[in-house]
Amino acid sequence: MPAPFSRRAALRRLGAFAASSPLYQLGGQQRPPGLRERVPALEEIESVLEFEPVARARISRTAYDYVAGGVDGEFTLRRNRQAFEWAELVPRALAPAAAPDLSAEIFGQKLPCPILVAPTAAHSQVHPEGEKATHQGAAAAGVLMAVSSNSSYPIQEVAAAAKGPVWFQLYARDTPEGTRDRVERALAAGCQAVLLTVDTQYMSHRERMLHDRHLNIPAAGVPVRTRSRRQAGAPPAPYRLQPQNPDLSWKTVEAIRAYTNVPFLLKGILTAEDARLAVEHGVSGVVVSNHGGRYLDYAPSTLEALPEIVQAVGGRIPVLIDGGFRRGSDVFKALALGARAVLVGRPPLWGLGAFGPEGVRRVLEVLQAELAMAMAATGCATIAAIDRSAVLVDFA
Amino acid sequence: MSRLPPLEELVNLFEVEEVARQRLAPELFESIAAGAGAGLTLGRNREAFDRITLRPRVLVDVRAMDLGTQLLGRKLETPILVAPTSRQTLLHPEGELATLRGAAAAKATVVLSSRPGIPLERIAAQARGAFWCQLEPETGAGEFRQLVRRATDAGAQALCLSAGWRGEKPAPPVDWTLVARVREWTPAPLWIKGILAPGEARTAVEKGAQGIIVSNYGGRLVDGAMAAIEALPAVVEAVGRHVPVLIDSGFRRGTDVLKALALGANGVMLGRPPLWGLAAYGAEGVQKVLELIQTELALAMGLCGKPNLAAIDRSLVKIHKR
Repeated sequence: MPAPFSRRAALRRLGAFAASSPLYQLGGQQRPPGLRERVPALEEIESVLEFEPVARARISRTAYDYVAGGVDGEFTLRRNRQAFEWAELVPRALAPAAAPDLSAEIFGQKLPCPILVAPTAAHSQVHPEGEKATHQGAAAAGVLMAVSSNSSYPIQEVAAAAKGPVWFQLYARDTPEGTRDRVERALAAGCQAVLLTVDTQYMSHRERMLHDRHLNIPAAGVPVRTRSRRQAGAPPAPYRLQPQNPDLSWKTVEAIRAYTNVPFLLKGILTAEDARLAVEHGVSGVVVSNHGGRYLDYAPSTLEALPEIVQAVGGRIPVLIDGGFRRGSDVFKALALGARAVLVGRPPLWGLGAFGPEGVRRVLEVLQAELAMAMAATGCATIAAIDRSAVLVDFA
Repeated sequence: MSRLPPLEELVNLFEVEEVARQRLAPELFESIAAGAGAGLTLGRNREAFDRITLRPRVLVDVRAMDLGTQLLGRKLETPILVAPTSRQTLLHPEGELATLRGAAAAKATVVLSSRPGIPLERIAAQARGAFWCQLEPETGAGEFRQLVRRATDAGAQALCLSAGWRGEKPAPPVDWTLVARVREWTPAPLWIKGILAPGEARTAVEKGAQGIIVSNYGGRLVDGAMAAIEALPAVVEAVGRHVPVLIDSGFRRGTDVLKALALGANGVMLGRPPLWGLAAYGAEGVQKVLELIQTELALAMGLCGKPNLAAIDRSLVKIHKR
């Protein structure tokens, strides 16, 4: 393989890559297992972040880069994690909660905890059984799974792989009929809510993946694409974009809502203005999301965006959130700022890549245990008891 | 020397910088890279962008993306221009000719330095794209008139008077009588570059400037000066209703450009990045640099629900304390 740059450039890139890893935020407590280190067994793993290096060692480079990468310089990817450092828990030494109850409720549905598996694409990149295995792991931990439109297995197979509840993440298709067909398949498979992703107007520049492509590293099961050429029929503008959903509008939202007879949420809201419009257009809920830092770089961290959205919504519909959640205390902070539930995207994939369904289960159990500890320390006996006074933030 | 990577492998401007670093003699690369003093302003120009986040709007129809804009009656394909930098023949034998050719291919306007590596008339004879010409305030009156005439005859669409900066030392104060006379000598509009303070912007407009360019010259003039993007809002507040405002200094990403537009700039100039492209790849490198950042800008606009420049306003950005 020819080196495209000098050693210095390679080192610089490696440094930038390491700096962008959530592991870096831990001050070197953890790092990918080196040649002389053993890979820990599942039962030895105590925190979610420890799964990432194990998964990384076990999946292809392209799969890892696909999961780990953000857009452009990965500012938003980093800021999602950073923002948690700007929110602090307020412990209650005199009145801790002995056995906190994590059970939650959303759209009339009882859940054992307010943590959900976020929709992410193509799980077969990290495990041959793909989303079926993820669903098995999530169900074993009692956690609801949102399944992506771009899952490796059809929604009915994923839903049938375990008994746990599933939601459906919807990417609108090119035609209204195609979109409706996709929704109806999901509803027939038993999905209990639909989340329409609204932040993917154009395909973003994932620089790690662009480099992988230039190095001609084949992605698992995906043919190496030839170098990008101007698409036939594309305008001769000096700037060339790859459209994904540039025509999505509030009309699309209304049309889909009309035939979707389960709760219908919008995923990818980052402003009070759009949150208000969402309420006005009758959606059931919003997910504050920057797509894990994968679409618009310099989008705000979701934790920083959360307060203005919670305020704009004013309790009329539930506000959910995703983006960089790796600790039970992270989840606690979002709940304290008004989120009803938290979705985790990359951590279940680390669990899946590292240990299969058992890894997914363990990741979700660790998060629940950590959330329980945060609740105990802050004297919150129930999820409903977690309020704004339980955290100090210096960004809101 | 390491292999020259094919242009299509480069995915952002920092990578073009890296190739230029490999190709150029260290002292030459450093002459482009250097900032004044300890490089505080040089660094601050970049860091300031990390304190500004975007507020993307969704469910807006962004099928038809249009980056076009008008500047003083001229249509620009995108709001990104090439800033004036001197003696480009030091970096590539074709110098300014290659820069203009690359910029024309990317449909971008170039501001030619008052100290080009190739005589202005020769550049103009071969230029296919639009260009402006830079002027220096301390030039003697007779010579100044001569420069304005040459630039006008060569077809410069605008003139750009760089204040406050000459080599390693400050330039003399701007002779405002000269500015008034330029307006008589040429129909080309006159911009004044190097403004950071709102009061100075007001003065420049009162004395006849038709446009203001916010700039700290890429951190090369006064170390400790504020970042250009930090200075922008007050300058726009002071003069933005009356004249167009451009900005340069530290722009490397499409999102950087978008932030400046949201804060009221009408366009952005790039100084170092086209030089990196020129040094490493000639005209094609200049074209690549411009197309990369134009594409990043278009993408960021699309993902923010802004199909054109008119849709961009102050509510698109949030400025943080860190």
